Order: sequence, then C-alpha cells, then structure tokens
Amino acid sequence: MNKDHYAVALKNALTEVRNICPDVSHSFIFTKDGMIIAGDPETEEKTMEKMMRSFQSVAEKSDTIGSLKALYVDGEKGKVILSSINDMYLALAASKNADTTYLHSVTRVIIPTILKLLETITPTPLQLTPSKQLVVDTLSGFFIGDSVQIDTELLEEWAKLLNQKDVNEVEIEAFSGKATQCKAKEINDPQLKGKGMIRIPEKLCKTLEVKKGELVKVKPAST
Amino acid sequence: MSAKKKAKEDKDEIEILQEKLQSIKGQEGIIGYILRASNSASIDLKDPTKIINYAILSATAFEAGQDISSMFEIGEVDTILLEGENTKILSMVVNSNRLSIFMEKNVDHNELCKDLNLT
Repeated sequence: MNKDHYAVALKNALTEVRNICPDVSHSFIFTKDGMIIAGDPETEEKTMEKMMRSFQSVAEKSDTIGSLKALYVDGEKGKVILSSINDMYLALAASKNADTTYLHSVTRVIIPTILKLLETITPTPLQLTPSKQLVVDTLSGFFIGDSVQIDTELLEEWAKLLNQKDVNEVEIEAFSGKATQCKAKEINDPQLKGKGMIRIPEKLCKTLEVKKGELVKVKPAST
Repeated sequence: MSAKKKAKEDKDEIEILQEKLQSIKGQEGIIGYILRASNSASIDLKDPTKIINYAILSATAFEAGQDISSMFEIGEVDTILLEGENTKILSMVVNSNRLSIFMEKNVDHNELCKDLNLT
C-alpha cells in the first residue's frame, strides 16, 4: 500500500466518523513534524496548518510535563480534542453536545485501530515525504545559479529517511500557495549553517513571492 | 457600580479563589498552581525550580486555546487541558483571572472544576 492509499484510507475513515457523529465538524491527522496525513473534506488546509502551529508552540514548551500526549480545549459552543496516536496526532473539533464517550472511542480506539490495521497490511514501511519549515534568506550576485542552499544535516536526514544516496532536488511551497521545484545544495556560508535557513536566489524568491525572513515549506522532490 | 466597589469585589473574588486553591493544593497528586490577575500573580508549586517552565507553558496554553477557539469557532474558552507523559495542566479563566493547576495524570480534573464551582 503506498502513501496515497494510506492517506485515502484515513481520509475515508475520518469522513465515516463524521457521518456517524455529525457533531464532529472537523477532523484531521498530522505528524509530529507538522505534515498533514489526512483530513476530512470540510476542513481547509489553512485551518489544519494553523492548528498544527498552535499545537507545536505548546508541544515545544511541554518538556516540563513530558512529551505532550493530548490537548483539550472546551469552549462555550464546542470542543477541540488533539490526541497523540503513535507518532501522529488526531485533531477533532465537535459541538458542545457531542458525546464525549464517542469522541474518546474515536481518538483512543477507532483511529488507532485503523492505523494499526493499515500498518499491518502495508507490505513496506510507510514513507511519507518529510517537509520542514525553513526561514528564507535571499541569495544575490552573478554566480549564484538556480539552486537553493539548505543545511547539509537536513539533506542527509532526508536522504536517510527516503533511503536514497542523496537529495538533490526539493519542492518549496510558500504560505501563499506558490510552489516550485529546484535543485538543492548545501549551505556554503559557515556562519549560516544550522540555523534552519533556506537560501533562495532572488529570482526564485520573486517566483515564490517570498521575502527574507519569511517561512516556506520545503521537502525533497518526489522522484 | 463605582470603581472602588468593583475593585473590592474583584479582591474578594480573588481571596475566595485563593482559599479554594489552598484547599485543592493539599490534595494528593496536586503539584501546584499559577493564578494571574490583572495586576498580580500567585504561584505555589512544589518544585520552585520549575516556576519559569510552568509559567511559560501556562501562558502558551492560554494563547493556543484562544487561537484554536477562533479557528474552530467554539466560542469563549471554558477550560484547556494539556496532558503530558505523567503530568497534566488544567487552565481556565476565572473572573478574568488566569488560573493553571498542575497535577499528576491520575488526578480527576473534573472534580477540581467542581471544587472550584466551575461546573
């Protein structure tokens, strides 16, 4: 089973959860690294990304209580549950009157069982393309070429994850939705290494409509 | 209502809340609490070396709670619960004071809400 089938299976599961319990208004699954695996058709990707950022800001500061396992927000008109399942997180938003027992069954039993089942019937380990958010630094000059520059460690990490010798091409997506694919090299300025940066030639920055200091999502180009 | 009367009422409310918190603090599994009013803060934690970490986490939880509430339109936030490996945090706004109670995971936080007359 490839990653698309895996995502489709999860998406269908989330849609069914919603059909059975109409009180669930939004549901999606994402990884610790901030990658969306699947979401119900009603939830916009922007909303999922915002939610992930909020969640990550809390998770980053959660060392004091051990790793963050769950986050519940109870509001006057509804509730949001964020629950960890292995290396992933399931987010559910529901109306105030939603059956809590049912929601807990979904977060603690149904979705974990589906994930386990999918992993059992997957012949090879699931390989999800890992994406990272990097800060843009612009490259200018005559001899800069068309390649972007990224930390060597990150390129090596991706190559290892994807079981490839190396990663030479990446996909870059700005938060505006503009995206492009280009060659990638390691950062050559020692002072800029290890700072979570991506150095992008000015021309490419214009294409992506990004400026220095802004965040972009970067992942290895699919081969 | 005059500003003076309002200020007195607020002070009384905080004092009542602090009394309740003192009683809750003695319960098994309770690690401590942070209560932030508009001009002051009360912090009572078993391990004072973790005050900064807990304070930052508490503030971040409130921010995230607000953001998540507006994203999913769930209205004013009643409670935020963070569950870690062994510890959890219950955060809420009580009479415009921000309260976070830190506890071991096995503590029934719903009971705490009842104790605080929040349910």
